[in-house]
Amino acid sequence: MRYVKLPKEKVYEFLEQLKSMGTLYGPKKISEKFYDFREIGDVKEVEFEYNRTITPPRKFFFPERETVFTFDTVNVEIHETLPTGDPIIIFGVHACDIVGLRIMDSRFIDDQPDPYYQTRRENGIIIGLSCLPDEYCFCSVRRTDFVDAGFDLFLHLLPDGYLVRVGTVTGHKLIENSPEYFEEISSEDKDNFAKFEAKRRSMFTVQGNWDDMRYRLELHLDHPMYMRESDKCLGCGNCTLTCPTCRCYEVKDLPTLDGAGGERVRFWDSCQFRSHGLVAGGHNFRPTKKDRFLNRYQCKNAYCETTTTAYCVGCGRCTYFCPADIQFKENLLEVYGFGGGA
Amino acid sequence: MILPDHEIIEECRDVCRATVGVYVLTSCYGCQLVMATVQKIMEVANLVDFKCFYMVSSKSSLHEPVDIAFVEGSVSTEKDLEELKEVRKNAKVLVAIGACAVNGGVQSWSEGDLDYDKLYASVYGNSKIKYKGLQAAPIDSYVKVDYYLPGCPPEEDEIMYFLSTFLFGSYPEEIDYPVCAECRLAGNPCILIERDAPCLGPITVAGCKARCPSFGVPCIGCRGPVPHDNSWFDSLALAFRNKGYSKDYIRERMKIFCSHDKNLEERLDKAFGRKK
Repeated sequence: MRYVKLPKEKVYEFLEQLKSMGTLYGPKKISEKFYDFREIGDVKEVEFEYNRTITPPRKFFFPERETVFTFDTVNVEIHETLPTGDPIIIFGVHACDIVGLRIMDSRFIDDQPDPYYQTRRENGIIIGLSCLPDEYCFCSVRRTDFVDAGFDLFLHLLPDGYLVRVGTVTGHKLIENSPEYFEEISSEDKDNFAKFEAKRRSMFTVQGNWDDMRYRLELHLDHPMYMRESDKCLGCGNCTLTCPTCRCYEVKDLPTLDGAGGERVRFWDSCQFRSHGLVAGGHNFRPTKKDRFLNRYQCKNAYCETTTTAYCVGCGRCTYFCPADIQFKENLLEVYGFGGGA
Repeated sequence: MILPDHEIIEECRDVCRATVGVYVLTSCYGCQLVMATVQKIMEVANLVDFKCFYMVSSKSSLHEPVDIAFVEGSVSTEKDLEELKEVRKNAKVLVAIGACAVNGGVQSWSEGDLDYDKLYASVYGNSKIKYKGLQAAPIDSYVKVDYYLPGCPPEEDEIMYFLSTFLFGSYPEEIDYPVCAECRLAGNPCILIERDAPCLGPITVAGCKARCPSFGVPCIGCRGPVPHDNSWFDSLALAFRNKGYSKDYIRERMKIFCSHDKNLEERLDKAFGRKK
């Protein structure tokens, strides 16, 4: 792997360079407490130190709503509406979210290639950014706190710039084509990188490894936590809609008024909604709020073969953005048997 | 395959013309106004025969059979009730449109607190009015309703979706999730979390694309409760209580558009009877 340094004074120039290559998105402060990935007009608006965005980066490749084809009932034809493949650059993606995208790939590319997702993904550039955890983060126990793949460049904070890890050929080209922004790294930079990582590791409120969480949960499906906590649940789906790895969708046909055609749209669904488990004939696999609540805990802790991690990457969004203040991490620890910090 | 409990009409295309009626009981006529001013109103008028639509034609009649009836307003007088029964008798598909028809509207705010006689006395004293009044109620208190199109007023895209699916020989899919979800999809910051705003987005049925919260205004619940008993008044009341709101305040606010929901009082009691 190649390493270079991006000095602090060159950061905005480098962002300008990225902006000239396509549509640039990055973290922005959108309100007092929240951040989101938004299109970057003025590169000075990029927020380098943010905790988490309200929408996950999967939205760039799997939008919350898209038309998959239009239909013509007169000639009995369908016309796929594939994305154009315009280049997009997503700057400032944290390690957990990069693993989240790889988990999305495992379902939308490796499994059954989805041309809509795949086209956008192939035309996307991912620039990772280091971060320091807050009390909601638990990527460390999910083994998603440090990524070795899934990014083109990854920027690690140094006192006077960034140590840049190059992850792909595309990343190499970004460096090669703009050598004026980069320097070779010094031994001081290496020390500072190690210090940052050590500081970061010490800040997590949970330590250890949760690879066995799945089994603990499976062994305690009747744990009283589920009833107590699902009682607080609003069923609003915010936990799943902000999750970087939720991938359930619903499709709907919208006919034109004259009935001569229409479009089929797909949009994000949530297992927290009643209709998610509803099938033909009126049977519902998850008829109660508790059933739906439990489903998310099981699904997020299942094993993804591609990343060898759980489907949950420990980003903390489902807790941070829960209007009912339901604590996912604490609840998992309770079932695991610790009742509080591991 | 259409489930038997979904009433549909025959697909017409260029063979026939669907007949449509737009009726009004006690309300502000706002739903009719939105229906009459949809961008594609001329296209709609070319495709269907309106047998009744007071806002656009004085040649409106309650007494003709129609394929699709849209009924606006709550049942608040004996006359409303007679008209509603007549509409139901003449309609193949009946759609309750707007907050009043679907949930009783703001005129139902005092439901469960003040009965008809007390309400009458506080407004009219000893005076007489032309019609015999009734306690305001959603139309499904009296007749079978096939579909619900909520909102105060309803959204144009939903009106068009309902019309186009009916004319296609199909039916509109019901929404069973809250405004809160649409708000997140819209990329809004959460005003309930951030500002402790008394936002009813989590209990209110979606479809408006979080119109008010998108402007930083807390949802007042005009679309009514999420259907199928999935409006969790108790969970939201608990969240509000933890932010310092009183039971009376929460109850008053939820009652504006949800006063006829059978779960409201029980779930509020559950939230406030529980130890913190």
